[in-house]
Amino acid sequence: MIGVISYLVFFTTVASILAIAVLGLNLQWGNTGLFNGGVVAFFGAGAYATLILGGTPQADHLGGFELFYPLALLGGMLAAGLLAWLVGVLTLRLRHDYLAIATFGVAVAFETLMRNAEGLAGGAKGLRGFERPLREALGDGFTYNLVFLAFVLTLLIVVYVFLGRLIRSPFGRMLRAIREDEVAAKSLGKSPSRVRLTAFVTGSVIMGLAGGLYATFYAFISPQDVLPILTFQIWAMLIVGGAGNNAGAVLGTFIIWGGWTASGWALSRFAPIEAQLYTGTVQFILIGMIIVGMLMWRPQGLLPERLVVSQSGKPENKHKTGSRR
Amino acid sequence: MNGNSMKRAGFAAGLAAGLMTLGNAAMAQDCTTKIGAVLPTSVDWGRPIAETAQYVVDQVNEVGGVAGCQIEMVLRDSQVDPKVGVDAAKALVDLDGVKVLLGAVSSGVSMPILTSVTVPAGVMQMSCCSSSSAFTTLSEEGKTDGLWFRTFATSGVQAATGAMVAKEQGITSIAIMYKNDDWGQDIGRIIAEDFAALGITVTGSVALNDGAPSYRAEVTEALRGQPEALYLALYPKEGIAAVREWISLGGTQKMIVANALKSDEFRDSVGLQFLGDTLGTDTASPRVASADAFVTQYTDRFGGAPNGPGLANSYDATMIALLAMEAAGADATGDEIAAAIPRVTDPNGTPITADGAGFAAAVDVLKAGGTVQYQGATGNVRFDANGDVSAPAVIWGFTEDGIEEKRYVSLEEVDAFIASMN
Repeated sequence: MIGVISYLVFFTTVASILAIAVLGLNLQWGNTGLFNGGVVAFFGAGAYATLILGGTPQADHLGGFELFYPLALLGGMLAAGLLAWLVGVLTLRLRHDYLAIATFGVAVAFETLMRNAEGLAGGAKGLRGFERPLREALGDGFTYNLVFLAFVLTLLIVVYVFLGRLIRSPFGRMLRAIREDEVAAKSLGKSPSRVRLTAFVTGSVIMGLAGGLYATFYAFISPQDVLPILTFQIWAMLIVGGAGNNAGAVLGTFIIWGGWTASGWALSRFAPIEAQLYTGTVQFILIGMIIVGMLMWRPQGLLPERLVVSQSGKPENKHKTGSRR
Repeated sequence: MNGNSMKRAGFAAGLAAGLMTLGNAAMAQDCTTKIGAVLPTSVDWGRPIAETAQYVVDQVNEVGGVAGCQIEMVLRDSQVDPKVGVDAAKALVDLDGVKVLLGAVSSGVSMPILTSVTVPAGVMQMSCCSSSSAFTTLSEEGKTDGLWFRTFATSGVQAATGAMVAKEQGITSIAIMYKNDDWGQDIGRIIAEDFAALGITVTGSVALNDGAPSYRAEVTEALRGQPEALYLALYPKEGIAAVREWISLGGTQKMIVANALKSDEFRDSVGLQFLGDTLGTDTASPRVASADAFVTQYTDRFGGAPNGPGLANSYDATMIALLAMEAAGADATGDEIAAAIPRVTDPNGTPITADGAGFAAAVDVLKAGGTVQYQGATGNVRFDANGDVSAPAVIWGFTEDGIEEKRYVSLEEVDAFIASMN
């Protein structure tokens, strides 16, 4: 029984980390309409920076500053934010598919850079040497995973609440206005380019946080972790869950990641021996079919965005929102 | 605290495994022990590696299994995605209660499995094919708890043999093209140092990324120094594309290639007429009967010679893991199995062959308290303190019928040559 619990703790940790990244993408795509095709670059920037700042010294490359863990995480978020700001300033004038192509290119460039920059990031060998915080007190096993899960869940809730408040605020309304009709928003005296940049950077910082948690959970990151497949997975989670709805984003993450892992498990257990070797391929077909099916029959996702009228009609709110507008 | 919780986890896992075997026992009247495998079965060259591992399990089951129990290998696909591989490994350890994990192939997948799953859970991990030097460093830092082993000789042996070939051919200048991953970067760096130590000029060292539509730019760059010869540490897919461009642009046909290009696909796609001067290196097939036996039995079983990368290594990894489980006895922990490895790879032990009969012979010797020397498909495997193997080498070439060994370089010769360069 404890085996099952231990596995579930592990699974929930990874799924929660991915959910944080999906929430970041939801701010960009779901609420602002920014097609970020390079999620993995910002996830990776956070992961690499966190390990470089928080890891132990390594012989042949930069890093090993052994910063206090939360500081290292903040550094990772900062790195992701800086990268997003740079990319954003250069590319945010692009729309939809053009932005997607540009950011996808950034992600591929990021992966190639990490693969080659041996002095910076260990090259293809990857970065390792992260000492788990509180390891002496918690050990390496189940207890550690449990505490780490609690930490990740706390951060997930913080991000969830923060984004919930953000999109209910006047700023959130502005994001949706820009998503729906940029010219109209501009005619009301708003500055779409600045708002788009803010949303892009904020979303990317959140992805960087997810990356930092991911790298420190495995105590390892390598270019293999930042391949375009991760961008695809995170997008699939958002689309299945429901773009524009934070609860949907989290639900989608658990469903897709659960399906991804459970299908592998189920095939390894129930498929006949001769078919075992083909389970990997079968799994790809299954997951592809889920995504195609969703797009055909429920393109708005499991939990679609709930569009709310800004003037809620309640007297006390009316006054508040009125004054902020 | 740690020890306690681990023991508790181990006890529960044992209980769970016990309950599962109860169910099976009712059907089959005997017990089953599970081992885990995380291998990239969705990749073309990964599937034969998994087939080879399963083949070993079948052979051992035919002669009665391990410690009286049949072995069931639970195979999970890593999809060459670290997240997926780590999750699969965690599920195998927690849900199936395996004490031995085979895999993975890519170092980028093996490493997070090692740091976040097998070492914390005290499970022995044996990889056929991960080559990164990072594992050696990790082990030197004492962070693998002696649970990590690999049957893939580190890139040092491979590179040294390549350098030896170049020296014997009287080559004075050479270009290097390597696959841009951990394996390629390691081997490209080591062989460049080896060439320099031998006074051979390296005119250029070029990295090739996976899946590029054309390697013309890289090939042109490698051609620029007008080298006498070319060294290739590539996989067949990039190798075929790059060598075609290389030859069409007038590059030399004097090529030295690492073991990953030891493939019929490469020979057929490039064309034998261009590969007459090509020599390859590998760390397999030493002059012992068991190695020939491996080739024969593999050919019988799969209808083709074991020419893909990592097959002999996968065979040995699986067999050694099962031998160690036998030596450690029923219900052994991962630590105990790892500690039993020297008993089955003892240079002074009774020699046993790499097949079902060899396993059966080992069972008798081990039961009597003796030790055995496993003479495997990659030779007399012996692990050093970091779980690494050294190995004899072979130099091979392409022929009409496939791939032919040109010369056998014994372990002593390899070691002497490596020492001569330092």
